[in-house]
Amino acid sequence: MVKIQKTILSRVEGEIELKLIWEKGIIKDAFIIAPNFRGFEFILEGKPILDSLIITPRVCGICGHAHLMATVNALENLYKNAGYNIEISKKANLIRLITLSAEIVQNHLRWFYLFVFPDLLKLETYTEDLSEYIPIKGKQWQKAIDFSSKIVKVIAIFGGQWPHTSYSIPGGVVCDPTTFDITESISIVDSMIKYYEENIIGMKYENYLSIEDYKEFIEKSDKDLSKFLKLCFKHNLHKIGKAYNRFLTVSNIYPIFSQGATKRKKYNFNIKKLEEIDTYSFLTKKGIDFNGKKYSWAKAVRYEGFPYETGPLARRINNKDKLFLNLLADLKDTYIPRIWARIDEIIKLLLAMKKWLQEIDIKEPSYIKPKKNIKELEGIAYGLCEAARGSLIHKLEVKEGKIKKYDIITPSTWNLGPRCEKYLSPAEKAIIGLDNSLIAEMVLRSFDVCSVCTTH
Amino acid sequence: MKTLLWIQGLTCNGNTHSLLNAENPSFYDIFSKIKLLFHPAISSDEDLIKIIKDITQNKISLTFLVVEGSITKNKSFCRVGDFSIAEIIDQLKDKAEFIIAVGNCASFGNIPALYKENTNVVGLQYIFTEKKGLLPPNFKTKSGYPVINISGCPIHPAWFMQTILALYYEKPLILDAFNRPKEIYMYLPHDGCIRNEYFEWKEESEEFGHKEGCLFYNLGCKGPLTHAPCNKILWNRTSSKTRAGMPCLGCTEFNFPLRENYFETKKNIGIPEEVPLGVSKRAYITISGVAKSLRNERVKKKLEETD
Ligand code: SF4
Ligand code: SF4
Repeated sequence: MVKIQKTILSRVEGEIELKLIWEKGIIKDAFIIAPNFRGFEFILEGKPILDSLIITPRVCGICGHAHLMATVNALENLYKNAGYNIEISKKANLIRLITLSAEIVQNHLRWFYLFVFPDLLKLETYTEDLSEYIPIKGKQWQKAIDFSSKIVKVIAIFGGQWPHTSYSIPGGVVCDPTTFDITESISIVDSMIKYYEENIIGMKYENYLSIEDYKEFIEKSDKDLSKFLKLCFKHNLHKIGKAYNRFLTVSNIYPIFSQGATKRKKYNFNIKKLEEIDTYSFLTKKGIDFNGKKYSWAKAVRYEGFPYETGPLARRINNKDKLFLNLLADLKDTYIPRIWARIDEIIKLLLAMKKWLQEIDIKEPSYIKPKKNIKELEGIAYGLCEAARGSLIHKLEVKEGKIKKYDIITPSTWNLGPRCEKYLSPAEKAIIGLDNSLIAEMVLRSFDVCSVCTTH
Repeated sequence: MKTLLWIQGLTCNGNTHSLLNAENPSFYDIFSKIKLLFHPAISSDEDLIKIIKDITQNKISLTFLVVEGSITKNKSFCRVGDFSIAEIIDQLKDKAEFIIAVGNCASFGNIPALYKENTNVVGLQYIFTEKKGLLPPNFKTKSGYPVINISGCPIHPAWFMQTILALYYEKPLILDAFNRPKEIYMYLPHDGCIRNEYFEWKEESEEFGHKEGCLFYNLGCKGPLTHAPCNKILWNRTSSKTRAGMPCLGCTEFNFPLRENYFETKKNIGIPEEVPLGVSKRAYITISGVAKSLRNERVKKKLEETD
């Protein structure tokens, strides 16, 4: 008997439906449906070029800053492709990295406590005392809100506000920070590090960073991450959610992110090997089509024809972080490493932020006006950025001072898009074979679901 | 206990995430006073479709219906289960004491309303400037208020929190011409901007990246033409666009996405096409001339070099 079950997922960004096909108590097939579509790429057509800086951040309320960075990167590449040198001061570069990192830290904290932890409460059915993690009432839940809101104050210091600033533009950044702006930002980062040590890892970060084996961490720590992992093992979650063991990262942020495509061995990322497939998407090259087997607004995206997982786990693997190479060897690309990678990234970003903040020389220019007016440029350019959920790619084509075409491939498209003729998306693959719908939802959430980005 | 239900149409979730940043009260403080029936990003066990049913059957009373995102009747572009967001609002509109549109999308349609393939994207009561949204122009909820618009792309969390709290304490709310709480939208981002001295003396920024200079004349700042208290109630309780050096985009106004070239000021023979609210072009020219003819030494220098 084949049974079809449809669930609307809460505790994700936006609207996602999970359609499960059951046979003899096992999930035989899974469809991730993104039912909403706003049409950002089409809305951008015909707009003045720089207006993309205002519009693309509004694709997503949680990673809008990454969209801004991808757009700036694309616009600066437009200059380069047209043969114009565009100069960015070291200061402007550092500030961009700092604000982008702040957004990612914010995202990971909210995702872990607001979206992921409540699932474990359900599994436990409250036998163990987990009251600290109960949504709204729980102390640790509340702290996650406080500290995720605190780190984005750094974006406000440099960019005026979060969400939805457009403070970064071709040539640099618009702000001109004072020494005191920088020392305040350092203090915020310091308090975040302390929060992370005391609440999440339960040890000094130096000790945590020297750990290369998961068992050692679980033994030594009794704070939130360790509690979470212990519960995962208790409920046999170390075997679920395996995807393709292929990992993609598109840009470098030394020393924490390094670009590459790993399938056993690591290769350089090459944008020419990427392809969008619309067989199962309502959105096709020839227009909108709701017929037949189509089921999502998202398109499938493939690299050398294969699905790749992107995001924090991919970044840890492509960066060859010891703990994660070991985790992969022990547990494969499953639920636990995928979740841990997101939490792990927080401290690496915070430490990098602190270093970058100290390196800013306020005497350098924030902005160096490009010599050529952007309205006189024509051509095609890509913008790459590592966002909270993984690799974000913008492609724009401009003509006669206007945007002719804009294409956005979000991290969620890589992970949660639909299938192609040959392969399921990584998240769909990770769900098949499970025997419990709550666990299926949990696997889906481990990819950090953002439907607003998936379809845009 | 008063109740609140949060639903979403076509949205980026930015208002939700902005709201999570709230201080005094914080997100969890307010929901110790008011029962949160459902929020798509927060709720864990609750079933939205069942809650809607219970409300329509008067089993649950609904105080605040909060809508984030633009509205469309077209299920192909936006769906909550088997319903369109318009159908859900239709079921709940006469049950809620108050309906609150959060953000420019729910208020005025905003960016999603520019998409040409889906011609039916609107705000709750407005589409851009016209009162032709989903609900009729004379629509009022049980409490006697029309849809209360908290505009902004996104909203500032305090704008939402203080509106909800005022209604919670049963204070009367004065609304402006676009049904926005007057006490929020009676200010301009220009009020309290740290660049005001430069505005006053017409010391205009020529390019980005400086603490000094006003962004109005060359760099597109809409601070003097926009209703929002961004330099009174600071963003993230820390700063604002114009303080950081970015022009105000006018993101709380109905025509926000209809504008173009946000980083430059449209001028006609040297005079900005739009002058500050409340001022005639003539008055603007006169006062600019006077200010420029007199000299303020302070605004001519880098701030670090001033006396
Ligand atoms: S920058 Fe904008 S808000 Fe600030 S003083 Fe100038 S016009 Fe007013
Ligand atoms: S300063 Fe202007 S653009 Fe920025 S939030 Fe306020 S009203 Fe919106």
